[in-house]
Amino acid sequence: MYTPLRIDPTRALGDIATFQRKLAAGMASLRGMQEPEYANTPRELVYSEDKLKVWHFTGHGKSTSKTPLLIVYALVNTVWMTDLQADRSMVRNLLEQGEDVYLIDWGYPDGADRWLTLDDYINGYLDRCVDAVRARHDLDAINLLGICQGGAFSLCYTALHPDKVRNLITMVTPVDFHTPDNMLSSWCRSMDVDLFVDSMGNIPAGLMNYVYLTLKPMRLNQQKYIGMVDILDNPVELENFLRMERWIFDSPDQAGEAFRQFIKDFYQGNKLIKGTLEIGGRPVDLGMVTQPVLNVFAEQDHLVPPDASRALGRHVGTTDYTQLAFKGGHIGIYVSGRAQREVPPAIHHWLHARS
Amino acid sequence: MSGLVRSATGDFVQRGFARMNRTLDEDAPMADPANDFMRDYQALAQQSWDAWTRQLQQQQQPSMAHPFFTPPPATAAGSDTLERTLSGLKGYFDWMQAVSASGAHPPSADWKQQLQQLFGAAGEPFAQAFGGIDSAGAEGFARQWQSWMQAAQQAGFTEMPGFGKGSAPAFGLNREQQMQQQAMASAMFESMQASAKYQALIQRANAQGMERLQDKLAEHAEPGRQIDSLKSLYDLWVDASEEAYAEIALSDEFREAYGEMVNCQMRVRRMQQQQTEQTCQQLGMPTRSEVSSLGERLQALRRELRSSQAATSDDPHARELAALRRELDALKRQLGRGPAAPAPKKTTAVRAAPAATRKSATAKAAKKPATKASRQTATAKLSSKPARKPAARPGPATTMPRRSPRKRK
Repeated sequence: MYTPLRIDPTRALGDIATFQRKLAAGMASLRGMQEPEYANTPRELVYSEDKLKVWHFTGHGKSTSKTPLLIVYALVNTVWMTDLQADRSMVRNLLEQGEDVYLIDWGYPDGADRWLTLDDYINGYLDRCVDAVRARHDLDAINLLGICQGGAFSLCYTALHPDKVRNLITMVTPVDFHTPDNMLSSWCRSMDVDLFVDSMGNIPAGLMNYVYLTLKPMRLNQQKYIGMVDILDNPVELENFLRMERWIFDSPDQAGEAFRQFIKDFYQGNKLIKGTLEIGGRPVDLGMVTQPVLNVFAEQDHLVPPDASRALGRHVGTTDYTQLAFKGGHIGIYVSGRAQREVPPAIHHWLHARS
Repeated sequence: MSGLVRSATGDFVQRGFARMNRTLDEDAPMADPANDFMRDYQALAQQSWDAWTRQLQQQQQPSMAHPFFTPPPATAAGSDTLERTLSGLKGYFDWMQAVSASGAHPPSADWKQQLQQLFGAAGEPFAQAFGGIDSAGAEGFARQWQSWMQAAQQAGFTEMPGFGKGSAPAFGLNREQQMQQQAMASAMFESMQASAKYQALIQRANAQGMERLQDKLAEHAEPGRQIDSLKSLYDLWVDASEEAYAEIALSDEFREAYGEMVNCQMRVRRMQQQQTEQTCQQLGMPTRSEVSSLGERLQALRRELRSSQAATSDDPHARELAALRRELDALKRQLGRGPAAPAPKKTTAVRAAPAATRKSATAKAAKKPATKASRQTATAKLSSKPARKPAARPGPATTMPRRSPRKRK
């Protein structure tokens, strides 16, 4: 019978020495580093309201698409995951495919935004952003690409304003919030959300980040940083790591009322698929989404389980529904090498077939 | 500093290896020399770690203490990579030292016992990974509790009958305050109890992680599959722990404990806010509730204004005017004088343009009639083929490929 542990003391000491050496050397690297920039693909501001901005990405070539694509990001985290770094930019990749890309940057809510509701976000801000893009192109309808919570918003919007959406793409979008593997949903099911929002007002970004870290505490609080030690001597890899850190923790607070509604109606009530959701007093019926729908989700997503996204196919009203399962996680679907090769081209081809 | 640490550590390790090799060559009993070496090595390693930590922590700004405010428990809230990195690495570093010390002993035939030794000593450092969950919140709350107790003692509330013993009748001039403090004491006790339940579940996850690690290790008992490095053992532990944690974190028991903990903390926070507001009112200062109420009314007014504007835009003349404005904007863009906008901060590559023109396009946009598009989509839904006519530009019907036929309920 062999023992599964054969840790050689000499090698263990060598590991410790190496670890120490890398740390000591790495400190110099870290100290001299500036905060990494995002990709900053050339863009122009085409609309703004309160803290919201709509950016039009200009890129380097002329778009071949007849219908612009408006990206609707989630309220949590910043939109720059879509344009993280030059060689890992979904936006840049879509531009290179020929898409004409717009992006809603929701900004950083503060106390003045405490009472913004989902109605304000979806029938207000989002609707006016869509109008702005429609007006620029003199079109009745544009293409929407909703990401995560922004995908849920896009579904609601399309159901409520079907005449303004030509094609709908949802990425890592939760639709069924009560799948058994949805940890976030499970945790907030017994929370008194009214008490929570009444006490907190806006929900601090730090608290949101803390909750996300506790989904995988060992990996995200410790193992990730141990892995970082191995790249301390690699400036490029280290910069990429720090850029991702910047994105993860540079996140906005959540407007209190919108948070209250989203948790109660989506996470607790699962009303989107029950057909009982109302936004601004108007019923949201996914059956009203009759536009072509492309649903892209990640098979290893720990924030939005794949089944939570797959459910869309059973509830949406369109007869032209396409599903794309990506082999990766919630973030990898934007920034991994595989994602660059697979996701933007798939989106472009799907849109092109429906142009 | 880093150079000193590096060279000192390197020299020491070389000397240590030489000493250990001599010991091995001489086939002498390993216990004492090796342990001496380990003690020396650990002491130096700890010194260098502490020095490294101190150097980095010089860059940190101490947070300002406040008796009635507990920041979110995540140290990550400060967006400081170094702080997060340090807290994560410290546990790993301590564990490596502990394991290497244990590993200097001859491998035990009972590997499960050996595993207990390896991780038993490392229980505390490894709790740091979980510490992001339980200890930060608990410590924050304990600080809060102490601050409140001090304040209550100074105000003389702790001398009142019934304090800290559940509800009891209150009398006299300070009756209301006394009742409030009793309620606060009860809420804080409840909150600490709820936190304790939650932490017990975290500890259970930790223990079950160890059991899973044993199961995983059992699969590595054959030659060629054995775990031979600290990093491999650590990675296996992470896998096992995450699995155990996920199972507990998805349980109904955890859901209830989580909800109870959050709700209890929010009740305490709410009471604190109410007491703070009372003090502010006595001092003639505006309160959070008043400001919040104003914000609510303002947002309601904004909605009404938008609604009125939308109703006005339904007027045929207003629609015609908006259409003319859109055409004008389109002509301007064609002439190269179209709306543009200023560059974003920190973005040198972004095109800059006057901000004054940026809202014109949207402000003048009007909702277009939807009837045509609605008819088209309704037709497509009834059709067996996914045919769809572009909503924006009516034309011949186009047959759309159906990639993944959807099964309707």
